[in-house]
Amino acid sequence: MIDLALQTVPGVADGLLPAAVLALTALLLFGIDTINPKEDSLALLCGISVGGSLLALALAGSLLAAGYEATPVYGDALMIDGTSLFFTLVFASVTALVSVASYDYLRDQDYCAEFYALVLFAATGMSLMAAANSLATAFVALELTSLPSYALVAFLKTDEGSVEAGLKYFLVGALASAVLVFGISLVYAATGAMTFSAIAEAMVGAGDVAGVLGLGVVMIAGGVAFKMAAVPFHFWAPEAYEGAPAPVSGFLSSASKAAGFALAFRIFVGAFPVEMAVPMGVDWVLVFQILAVGTMTLGNFAAATQENIKRMLAYSSVGHAGYALIGLAALSAGGPNGNVLGASMAHLFVYGFMNTGAFLFVAMAEHWGVGRTLEDYNGLAATAPVASVAMTVFMFSLAGLPPFGGFFSKYVLFYAAVESGFWWLAAVGAVNSALSLFYYSRVVKALWFEEATVPLEIGRRPVGLYVSVLAAALGTLILLPLFGPVVETAQTVAAALF
Amino acid sequence: MNQWIAVGALGVVAVGIPLGMMAASSMLRPTVPEQGKSAIYESGEVPTGTARVQFNIQYYMVALLFVIFDVETVLIFPWTVIYRPALEEGVPLVTLLAPMLVFIGILVVGLVWAWRNGAVEWVASPRALKEKTES
Amino acid sequence: MAAFDFAPLIVLLPFTSFFVAVAAAIWRPNILPKGGALPGIAATAGSLLVSLWVAVEVLGGGRTAETVYVWSTGVGDAPELVFSLLLDPLSALMLLIVSLVATLVHVFSLGYMNDEDETGLPRYYAGLGLFTASMLGFVVAGNLLMAFIFFELVGLCSYLLIGFWFREAGPPSAAKKAFLVTRFGDYFFLVGVAGVFATFGSAAFAGPESFPAVAEAALTGEASVRTFGFGTQTWFSVLGFLILGGVVGKSAQYPLHTWLPDAMEGPTPVSALIHAATMVAAGVYLIARIYGFYALLPTVLAAIALVGGFTALFAATMGLVKREIKQVLAYSTISQYGYMMLGLGAGGYVAATFHLMTHAFFKALLFLGAGSVIIAMHHNEDMWDMGGLRKRMPVTYVTFLAGSLALAGIVPFAGFWSKDEVLYEALVHGLGGSPILLAAYGMGLVAVLFTGFYTFRMVLLTFHGDPRTELARNPHGVGWNVKAPLVVLGVLATTAGFLNMVPVHELLGFPPEYLHDWLAHDGGRSAFAGLTSEHYGELLHDWAGYSTVELSAILPGLVSLGLALLGAGGAYALYAGDDPEEHTEKLGAAKTVLYNNYYQDEYQVWLTDSVVKPLSRTMDTFDQGVVDGTVNTVSSVSLFSGRRLRRIQTGVVSNYAVLLTLGLTALVLVVGVLGGWFA
Repeated sequence: MIDLALQTVPGVADGLLPAAVLALTALLLFGIDTINPKEDSLALLCGISVGGSLLALALAGSLLAAGYEATPVYGDALMIDGTSLFFTLVFASVTALVSVASYDYLRDQDYCAEFYALVLFAATGMSLMAAANSLATAFVALELTSLPSYALVAFLKTDEGSVEAGLKYFLVGALASAVLVFGISLVYAATGAMTFSAIAEAMVGAGDVAGVLGLGVVMIAGGVAFKMAAVPFHFWAPEAYEGAPAPVSGFLSSASKAAGFALAFRIFVGAFPVEMAVPMGVDWVLVFQILAVGTMTLGNFAAATQENIKRMLAYSSVGHAGYALIGLAALSAGGPNGNVLGASMAHLFVYGFMNTGAFLFVAMAEHWGVGRTLEDYNGLAATAPVASVAMTVFMFSLAGLPPFGGFFSKYVLFYAAVESGFWWLAAVGAVNSALSLFYYSRVVKALWFEEATVPLEIGRRPVGLYVSVLAAALGTLILLPLFGPVVETAQTVAAALF
Repeated sequence: MNQWIAVGALGVVAVGIPLGMMAASSMLRPTVPEQGKSAIYESGEVPTGTARVQFNIQYYMVALLFVIFDVETVLIFPWTVIYRPALEEGVPLVTLLAPMLVFIGILVVGLVWAWRNGAVEWVASPRALKEKTES
Repeated sequence: MAAFDFAPLIVLLPFTSFFVAVAAAIWRPNILPKGGALPGIAATAGSLLVSLWVAVEVLGGGRTAETVYVWSTGVGDAPELVFSLLLDPLSALMLLIVSLVATLVHVFSLGYMNDEDETGLPRYYAGLGLFTASMLGFVVAGNLLMAFIFFELVGLCSYLLIGFWFREAGPPSAAKKAFLVTRFGDYFFLVGVAGVFATFGSAAFAGPESFPAVAEAALTGEASVRTFGFGTQTWFSVLGFLILGGVVGKSAQYPLHTWLPDAMEGPTPVSALIHAATMVAAGVYLIARIYGFYALLPTVLAAIALVGGFTALFAATMGLVKREIKQVLAYSTISQYGYMMLGLGAGGYVAATFHLMTHAFFKALLFLGAGSVIIAMHHNEDMWDMGGLRKRMPVTYVTFLAGSLALAGIVPFAGFWSKDEVLYEALVHGLGGSPILLAAYGMGLVAVLFTGFYTFRMVLLTFHGDPRTELARNPHGVGWNVKAPLVVLGVLATTAGFLNMVPVHELLGFPPEYLHDWLAHDGGRSAFAGLTSEHYGELLHDWAGYSTVELSAILPGLVSLGLALLGAGGAYALYAGDDPEEHTEKLGAAKTVLYNNYYQDEYQVWLTDSVVKPLSRTMDTFDQGVVDGTVNTVSSVSLFSGRRLRRIQTGVVSNYAVLLTLGLTALVLVVGVLGGWFA
C-alpha cells in the first residue's frame, strides 16, 4: 500500500479539473467571507460562484467534446471518463442555474457566502461521485454531497419548516449512509476488494458467499437509492423539498438525484457486471426493476393528489427517478446496454434543466409572496406571462409532451427499454407518463385559465430568477435540435462503461 | 445441514440467555420496591432534574472542531511514518509534501473561516447568564 | 441540368406571392397596387417560364428525381420522410398546364375581381398564390406522402376560395361541403399512404426503390413485402382502392361528386383554375403518377373505368336541365373527369393524360368565358335571362364557341381528339376480352350525345336568339384583361388536339403522335424506365391481362363525332330560335329527378341521419361508458390510492426509518429467495 501511495503522482489530472475548479471556487468563497464575515457582497459572491460553475461547465464540455479517454487516477480511486464528464456537465449547469437564481433569494439572508460555498462543495462531491472508482471514494464523495445538502435544506435557520426538513433529511440520510457502509463492508468481506474492477474480478471466486455479497449489493443499492429518492428510500424527499429554499430543492432534486444515478451506474456496471452477478443469484437488476416500477407508480400517484406545488414537484421528481431507473432495470447480459444506460443519462440531462426550472419558478412565486398551493397560482399568467410560458414549457416537458426535450428523452428511454426486451417497463413508464399529464396540466390550467382569487401584486421582477428560469426554459427548448448529439454522446459514453 | 441453521441458533441463544436470566431472577428474588432502587443511577451522585436539558450549542461547536482535528491527526500520522523512508527511496520532496500541504491548507482555510465567524469564541448566552445569577 | 436546379422556384415563386399578399393584408392593406394581383401574375408567369425551361430540358432527355429535404429520419429501419422532386415528361406537362392556366386566371382576375371593386383582394390573391404553389408542389412531388401533403393543401385553398364571399349565405356552406366531402375521400387516401409505407417501406414514385417497382417485384416474387396476412395481389388492390378514395373525392367522381356543383359559389376565376383545370385534375394526375402500381391491379382498373364511365354519363344527364351557366359547366367538368378515369381504367394512360391537358385548356376557357358573360350580366348567371350576347361580346362568343366545340368533341377541336382516344382505348381493350370496359365504353359513348346537347343548349341560350332581359340588352363591357386570357385559351382549345391525332396518324402516317412520343420514352435513363407509357403497356398486358384487338381508330372516331353532332343538332333544333322555349317540362318526372341531381344530396344526408348518426351515438355510448369508464376508473383508483399513499407520509421521521428498513428487508428477502441465498 505504501508503494502504491508513493507511485501515485500528486497533482490534479486534467480530467479532474472541473471538480477542482468547483472545490477551489468554494474555498475562494470561504476566503472572501473570512476577510469580511459581517458584510457580504452578494453580487461578488454570486458572480464568483456562477463563474466557477460555468468554468467547470466549459472545462467538462470541452474535455467531453475532445473525446476524453478513460483514465484511472490516484491508484484507481477515481476514474475519469466520458460518463464522469457527462454528469459533471449536468451538475455544473444546474449549479450555475441555481447560483444565478439564488441571487434574489439570498438578498435578505445572512451567510450568503456559506450558502454558495455549500452548493459548490456539494457539486464537487457530486462530480467525484460520478468519477468514483472504488467503494471507499464512492462513500466519501457521497458524504461530501450529503453533508452540505443537509445544511442547505436547513438554511433558513429561523424557518421552522426548513429546520425540520433539514433534520429529517439528515436523520434519514444517516440511516441510509449506515446501510450503504454496511453494504460496502459486506461486499468487501465477500470479495476482499474496494476498487470496482478488482471487485468484478474477485466475484468469480465469491460463489460460496453469494448470500453475503448479495446482501451487500442490495444494501448498496439501498444507499444510492436514497440519493435518487427512489421508493422506499424517498421519504425524505417531499419533506426536504418542501421545507428547503426553492433553489435548494431544485438543486437537490436535479443534481443530487443525478449524482445518485451516476454513482449507481458506476458501481453496478463496474463492480457487479450483469453477466456475472445475475447467474450467481445476485440479481440486482431485479432490485432495480422493483424499485423502478414502485418509484414510478408511487411517485406519480402521490403527486396526483397534492395541492402544494412544491410537494407535487417533489413527488414528480420521485416519479422521474423511476423513469431514470429504467436505465439500470432494463440491463441484461448481451443486451443493448449502452443504449439503455445512455438513454437514462440523457433523460437525467434534460431533467436537470426542466426540473430545476420548475423549482426556480416556484422560488420566483415565493419571492413574490404567492402562496404555495395550486389555487394560489390561479391567474398568475396574467401578471407574469413570460415566466408562466417558461413554467408551461417545464410542465409539458416534464409530462413528456412533444415537442419539448422531455418528450424526446422519455421516448428514447422507453424505446431503448423496448429494444432490450423490457417492453413491460416501457409500458409501465408510458402509463405513468399519461397519469402525470394530469397533475402537470393542472398547474398549466391554474396559471392560464383560472381567475385569480386575490388580485396579485408583483413588486420587483427578480433579475437573477428571471435569467435562470429563462435559461432553463431555453435549455429545455434548445435540447430539441440538440437532443440528437446529447443522446448520442450519452450512449457512447455509457457503452464505454460496459 | 444448512449453514444458516447455525446463524439462526446463535440468534435464538443470544435472545434466549438474557430473557432466561431475567425470568429466572424475577422468579427467585424477593420484590421489595424502594425509592432509592428506582432512582436513576448517576455514579452515586444524587440526580438533579431530568436528563432532557438543552446543552449550549457551543459544546457541539467545540466537539465538531475537535473531531475535525482528530481526523486530521489520523491522516497525518501514517504520512509521517512513511515520510522519511520515502525520501530515502528517492521520491521527490514535492510529491511527498504537496498533498499534505494542500490538505492542511484546506483545513486552515476552514479553521480561519470558523475562527473569524466566532466558532471558538465562548459567547455567553443570555439565558445561561440569567440562570447563573438567579441560582 | 441547370433547369432542374431552378425547378424548386416553380413552387417557391407563387408561395412568395402568397406571403407578400398575406403580409400586405395584415400590415398595409393598401400598399399593393391591384390588391396583390401583380406579384401573383409575376410569380405565376415566372413559374411558367421555369416550367417551359424544364419542359425543354425534359424534351432533351433530362429527368430527375432528387431529394430536396429530409424532414424526418427514421429510427432503426423506419422509412425516411422527405420532400423530393420528380421531373419527368408527365410532371413537366402538368407543370406547363398548371402554371399557364394559373397565370391566365391571375390576369383574368384583374377584370373579374379588381375591376368589379371587390373587397378583400389581398386575401383573394393570397389564396390563389397558395393554391398555385400547392398545386405545383403536388405536381412535382416525388413521393406519395409529399403528394398527400400538397393534396390536402390544395383542398384547403379550395375551401378558402370557395368561401371567399363568406358574408353571404351560400359560399361558406358550399366551402364546408367541399371540404368535408373531399376530406371523406382523403381519409382513405391517408390510410392508403400509411399502408404504402407499412407495406413497401418507401413511398417514392421513381427509381428501383419506388413502391410501384417494388410492388411489381413482389408480384414476380423477387422482393418480399409485408402484406398483413392477405394475398399479395389482394393487399395491393386494397391499397389501390384506398388511394382511389382520395382520387374519387378530389376529382369529383361518383359518389363523391356532390361538392363540385356547389363549389361554383366561389368566384368564377377560382372555378376556372381550381374546379376545372387543375385541382380537380389532381386525382386523375395522381393515378397517372403511380400508374405503374395501378397497372398491376386489374380489379382496381376495372373499378376505375366503371366509375369513370358511369360518372361521365351520370353527370352529363344532370347537365341537361340546368339553368345557371356555371352549373352546366360544373356537371360537364364532372363528366369530363369521368372520361379521364375511364381512360386510365381502360389502360389508356396517354389518352387520359391527353384529355387531362385538352380539358384543362377548354374547360378553363369555358369558365373564363362564363366569367366574362357573368361580368357582362352583372353577376346574373341564369341562362334564361341572357340571349343574344353574340353581337355584344364577339371575342367572348368566338372563344366560348371554340371551347364548346372542343367540349362537345367536334372535329378538329382539341376535345375531339382526346375524348375520341379515350373511347377508342376503352373499346379496343374491351373487345380484347374485358366486358366491363365495354360497359364503361357504352356509358361514355352515350355521354357524348348528352355532352353535345347540353353544350350547345348552353351556347344557344347564352349567345343566340334575342336578348331576353334588359341586362342582356345592355351588357357591361369587359376589358383586355378578360379578353386576352380567353384568346390564348381559345387558340389552345382549338389546336391542342393536334398534338396527338391518332386517326389522322393512322390514315396518313403523319403528323407524329407528339404526346405519345413524349410520354413513351425514358430519355435514356433506366431509372425512369418504370415511368414510361411503354412500360405501363407491358405491365397492363402482363398483370392486368389487357390485350388489344386490331381496330382502326377511324370508325369509332366517326361514331363519337356523329353522336356529338346529333346531340348538338338536337340542341339546335330545340333552342335555336330567336325566342327559345323551355322544353324541360316534356321530361315529366325525369325533370324533377334531374333538377334534384338524382337526389344525391338528399340520399347522402339521409345516410348521415339514419345510419351514421345512430352509429355515432352507439359509439359515443360505448366511448362514454366503456372507454371513458375505464379511464375514469383508472383515474379515480389512482387518485384514491394517491390519497392513501399520502397517509404513509406521516411526517414522523421514525416512521420513515421503520418503513425504509422494512422496505429494504423486503427487497433483501425477495432477491435473496429468488437468488437462492438461503439454500
